[in-house]
Amino acid sequence: MKGLEQKNHENRNSPWIKCIYGRLALLCLSAAAIRYWLIFFSKYQTTIADHLEISTPLNSWKRVKEGLYLYSIGINPYDGDMLHEIPTSLFFYQYITEKLGLSTGVIFIISDIATAIILFLATRHYMFLIYVEREVNKDHYAKETDEYLYTNMDLGKAPLYVAATFLFNPYTIFNCVGFATTVFYNCFLSMFLFMLLSRKAYMSSLFLSICTSISFYSIILTVPMWLQFHKQFKGKLRAILSVIFFVMNFAVLLFIGHRLDNTNAFFENVYGFILSVPDLKPNIGLFWYFFTEMFDHFRELFIFSFQINATILYLIPLALKFRNDVFLLITALLYILTIFKSYPCVGDVGLVISLLPCFKHLFNYSQQQFLIFVIYLVTFCLGPIVWHLWIYSNSANANFYFGVTLAFAVAQIFLVTDILFVYIKREFCLHFGKKRKIGQKDAILVLE
Amino acid sequence: MHYAFILLLFTFIEICISEEDVFTEELLIKPLNADNVYTHFHFTTKWNVPDSGFSSHSRIFPRILGEIIERYNVQELHIGLTNGLWRYEKWGYPVVSASPGGEIWTWFKPDTKDVDKNWKELTNSLSGLLCASFNFIDSTNTISPEFSFRPQGIIDNSEKVNSSYLKYSSLPREIVCTENLTPWKKLLPCNAKTGLGSLLNSGYIHNTRYHSLGLHLRRICTDKYCSHTGLELQQTISLVYDSKTLGTRNWSLIKFFGQGILNSCDLAESSTIYIDNKMNSSNPFRLTLKPDEVITSIRGGTVSEFAKYNVGKTIFSVGVDYLTQKEVTINQLPVLYAHQYLSGYGKENGGLVLKITNNHWSELDVVVLQNIPWYLQLYLHTLKITVGDKMLKPIKLKFKPGKLRTRYHHLEILLRIPAKSVATVSLNFDYTFLKWQEYPPDANHGFYIGSAIISCYLPLARDFVGLPQDGSMIRDSFNASRSGYLVQIRTETLIVTLPTPDFSMPYNVICLACTVVALAFGPLHNITTKRFILKVKDDRTLLDKIKAKLGINLKKKED
Repeated sequence: MKGLEQKNHENRNSPWIKCIYGRLALLCLSAAAIRYWLIFFSKYQTTIADHLEISTPLNSWKRVKEGLYLYSIGINPYDGDMLHEIPTSLFFYQYITEKLGLSTGVIFIISDIATAIILFLATRHYMFLIYVEREVNKDHYAKETDEYLYTNMDLGKAPLYVAATFLFNPYTIFNCVGFATTVFYNCFLSMFLFMLLSRKAYMSSLFLSICTSISFYSIILTVPMWLQFHKQFKGKLRAILSVIFFVMNFAVLLFIGHRLDNTNAFFENVYGFILSVPDLKPNIGLFWYFFTEMFDHFRELFIFSFQINATILYLIPLALKFRNDVFLLITALLYILTIFKSYPCVGDVGLVISLLPCFKHLFNYSQQQFLIFVIYLVTFCLGPIVWHLWIYSNSANANFYFGVTLAFAVAQIFLVTDILFVYIKREFCLHFGKKRKIGQKDAILVLE
Repeated sequence: MHYAFILLLFTFIEICISEEDVFTEELLIKPLNADNVYTHFHFTTKWNVPDSGFSSHSRIFPRILGEIIERYNVQELHIGLTNGLWRYEKWGYPVVSASPGGEIWTWFKPDTKDVDKNWKELTNSLSGLLCASFNFIDSTNTISPEFSFRPQGIIDNSEKVNSSYLKYSSLPREIVCTENLTPWKKLLPCNAKTGLGSLLNSGYIHNTRYHSLGLHLRRICTDKYCSHTGLELQQTISLVYDSKTLGTRNWSLIKFFGQGILNSCDLAESSTIYIDNKMNSSNPFRLTLKPDEVITSIRGGTVSEFAKYNVGKTIFSVGVDYLTQKEVTINQLPVLYAHQYLSGYGKENGGLVLKITNNHWSELDVVVLQNIPWYLQLYLHTLKITVGDKMLKPIKLKFKPGKLRTRYHHLEILLRIPAKSVATVSLNFDYTFLKWQEYPPDANHGFYIGSAIISCYLPLARDFVGLPQDGSMIRDSFNASRSGYLVQIRTETLIVTLPTPDFSMPYNVICLACTVVALAFGPLHNITTKRFILKVKDDRTLLDKIKAKLGINLKKKED
């Protein structure tokens, strides 16, 4: 192990790695330029910001502005129904907009670029873990399975691909240009990933608690965090300690929120809002039309089942199955959250898509790449069109937009199940070889 | 405080009532311009409430109202049921202003325990009493305005006016018709059989450009020293007739109401008709009947002349014949008027614009009250008040944000509008997507937004015919010069079309969305609970498999 780390250390200092940093800088600069142009020079900023795929009631900057304004004239913003951000976030936004002296656009660009860099660093840690795992287990793998393994070149480049996917993904670009506060959430989430993969128990629990206080769904990531530190420290105590840290930090954040707000109205307005889904404005998720058309009698039953479906239904089975690869587990959980949470936006989609290059070695064996890509493309174009037809020209109706969001959800479900499927298939092949024969007879691989 | 003049001052209402209850009826007829005639019925009942309480016997006063007041601990009650819009620019100001649809506001006594409960029960009772949809009023569409309303009668402790005991609600969609008029008429002592009430034939009343029923209850002093309090009920009907629908410019009671007055109401202390002679100067007319008296009233520097008729026992009708052909007259705009409209297109977001015109030569302080439903999500930071190109800063702003499905937005703005200018108040909002069962049966008809109310103390009484606060009859408004004249302008009600879902889809949507959820559950379940194994490939064709299966079955049967 020591030798490997030494080797890796040397690798990092080689000119090839330096070149990677150069490329990263170039990527960041060009991505910043695109965002800067869209925000400050094009006339599309408000159009993008008003779009429902980008701004949901939870993350819309217009609502933050409303909250800050109400606060400034002495009205409790949680008294009404416009603000669904926690008080600490509100004070953070107040600080960055009023005290920092930078324009809002610049702050959003900086956070987005920072997220990309942090993701780059986080995934580099992950790639290193994969590298170590490959080197350690090399002898146990079956013969002729090299194609399933990462090449050194891929290992080096994957983080760069991650950064590039994050920076040039239209979903994240629109998310940043539309001033969705998901930008900050993504930044904290990537910090959590970075801290987790660089094995810092306290810091990762801190960032996870920040993420959880912003979007309550992130609480399920405590399970992968626990798994990671359980594996790392080879002891339960310290792993449990990280969870305790998380609970403490979260409690402190809530307490600060309570002190800032003085009333407890924000609980209902933030977490109650996320969980009970009172605002049925369309978004890219499944909740809005389902609960628009739901019979009042069954509303609660289905809210409970949909929330359970989004959070804990898949948590334990996935955690058991993928306990050895925490990063994959987190990616899968984030994906499922993005599909099934109550107010998803393209910013969430952009982040999970940008994690995919880490699983580049699985792509060759996934079966539905083309289909998924086409659905992504079609829904990306068709969504705004049918929205316009429905809301502005009155020639379509809600079903059209619902169809698009359904297709989008299906594409994402295909993507995540495909990757998990390929992953376990790869595990099987690595250990038992590619041959599909029992004795002399042909055999097939089945799940049983 | 600099806006204190908006608040009504509570002067003792020095009205001495010797008898237990007194009833007076009055009719004011005022030609508004060449085409429109305004008729305003004013029935006033004063009751010197005995010590046994409001539900005790009364001679004239409708007992049902007394019971309601006692039961729900009501201090003051104001109801308006209106069809049509009062056009301030053309018609000046009415005696009692009312917003289109139904409108109700109530002051509860400060010792009321649960105001919301009383309010809900009160509106339900009134709904039954007047056959109106007041039962749809509850805490979700009620506000408690802070600056716009003050008690009009006496209150126990004049220093404590707490707006939390005030409830205001409007029903802009309410359609006012005969079924409201009939129970309203039943509250009159002579029950529309004799006296001025006999003129109120629904067939004629609903033929007008504007008709408004009003019911105003307040507490008054019954003697000079206010040692005893009484109740005062003002029942009003305002009508605006259009000469085009009447067919002729010359009008009379018979033309308006289909009949003259056959006999007077014996219970009424007085029964009077006033005809405003002001238009006589521009469009000369001749009264068909010589008036009993001609009253000259000087009020706030404006001189007006009224012809007064006392209704007697004989059959009786008054009217007017115009002397000349119709002349084009210049319409003198009133001092203050306002309009409200929607801006934006599409069903995603829009704006609300209110334009207030000040025609006076000096600045005017106004209070704007907006009562905006929760299905519009307001952005207060987009509130923009401009006069021309200049921004106008509100003197005071009161905003209680609404909440989805629980509370209306309540916005009150105190403004100082410069002389001879138009102030524009605009505000942006998002439309809300409702649950499919929350839409009314005709969902694409749209949703109503109630009128904005603009209250102002006018310094001059031009176009003003309202009663002074200390008066309860039209005759009290003659020569009643005061320091200010309170007008409350109600703007247009608005209608918005919210985005609608497909109402025929609930089963399909539930099925499709659940299918997608199942689509994730299946593979994830397989991946997490099963593992890969190699199995010998079965080369048999489908037919062979079926045969094999059947073979087994046959074998089993043979066994």
